[in-house]
Amino acid sequence: MNLLSKFDEVAATRRHLSQAGQDPTDVEMERILSATEAVIQGRRTILAGTNNYLGLTFDPDCIAAGQAALEAEGTGTTGSRMANGNYQGHKALERELAAFYAVDHAMVFSTGYAANLGTLSALLEPGDCVMLDADAHASLYDGCRMSGADVYRFKHNDVESLEKRMRRLEDRASRTLIITEGLYSILGDRAPLAEFAEVKRRYGAYLFVDEAHSLGIYGDHGRGLAEAAGVEDDVDFIVGTFSKSLGSTGGFCVSRHDVVKLFRYASRPYIFTASPCPSVVATTRTALRLLQQRPELRAQLWRNARSLYDGLAGLGLTLGPDVSPVVGVRFDDRDKALGTWHRLLDAGIYTNLIAPPASPDGSSLLRVSTSAAHSAAQVEAIVEAFKTVLAR
Amino acid sequence: MSQDLAQIELDIRNILAGFLKNPPALTGDTDLINDLSLESIQIMEFVVEVEDHYDIAIDLESLSNVHTISQLAAVVARNQS
Repeated sequence: MNLLSKFDEVAATRRHLSQAGQDPTDVEMERILSATEAVIQGRRTILAGTNNYLGLTFDPDCIAAGQAALEAEGTGTTGSRMANGNYQGHKALERELAAFYAVDHAMVFSTGYAANLGTLSALLEPGDCVMLDADAHASLYDGCRMSGADVYRFKHNDVESLEKRMRRLEDRASRTLIITEGLYSILGDRAPLAEFAEVKRRYGAYLFVDEAHSLGIYGDHGRGLAEAAGVEDDVDFIVGTFSKSLGSTGGFCVSRHDVVKLFRYASRPYIFTASPCPSVVATTRTALRLLQQRPELRAQLWRNARSLYDGLAGLGLTLGPDVSPVVGVRFDDRDKALGTWHRLLDAGIYTNLIAPPASPDGSSLLRVSTSAAHSAAQVEAIVEAFKTVLAR
Repeated sequence: MSQDLAQIELDIRNILAGFLKNPPALTGDTDLINDLSLESIQIMEFVVEVEDHYDIAIDLESLSNVHTISQLAAVVARNQS
């Protein structure tokens, strides 16, 4: 046993994944053709495993804004906003996010991961409590761990499990942050936000929602699941990312609480990292504007989501509980999921293999996602490929 | 071992036996990962059962050094007091 021995198990898993050829965790997209297609292993492939929900990565306005920012402001900021200054785009993006959510405060981070880490580590301290959904993203676990708060898990999306644990905290409930996501990224299931908000109110706790996968998807204005559930006033902190519906990279926190202004002085993942580069900020701002100006993108996304879900359900596959742009297809074991993933790729369909320990409930599954940019023919081709591959 | 701790350990063994499909002989020294090959999700579900049985909440940090049934029993006892 030496310093490097801990990697033996990982190496064995990697060898197993590579036995049938392409390692699913190391796919190279040789050429990106559009928001929905790439060349993989020399073959034109439909991308059914991205987070490009609104299909904006090739939007002409976003590209033009990015190019203009590159020309005007250069390739990067070369440092943090605290030490090296804010570009006007950083401040403008924060104002636009605050206006979009109709709150007073917004803070931009360099990635979605950093947004969760930076918000939670600034907000919480030892002695505070967290009620964390068991299936929460790794960045939420890491942010809680970084804060030193006491972390209690409740069963995924289970209101009774949350309520029981809140009751057990007794007088610590008012120092408790309940953390959930909006749309969960693997199974495509949604949090029961209205019920969680009711528990939060009853115990005088605070509510934090990670809308990374639900921004642009839910709500009349695309603000996310909190808007769709009618509980925006109950949500104390919303965190999200630019790297999904907005087709860029970066993350944010918005809130009505004035303390967010002070996070800038307490959040190490904000202070000690380089700020988002100007072209990224410019494409993000444009995508945020398009999200608001083009609700037809959201309508198209939902048409595709319904079509994909119904098509896969029609094949007799075991799917996640909710119709959403993310469909989790369950398999009996990892080898069957792996084999199906390979055959789909050979058939020109790229999906995501999710296996233990990364899967939310210990099962093996393929994550299939759709985009507003998928054509009806592409959605049909995805379903048809599943049918052909599973019939073999 | 105090009477209370012994009872908690027995309760936990019973909860765990009900949780497993084909439970082997369980002792206080049974290691949840190395002996039972439980995945992290299964351990989480098992701990939730234990919490509900005792009507307590156990924070993640307290579980970070728990490997065996007796160690979990000690954490439960601390949370009850």
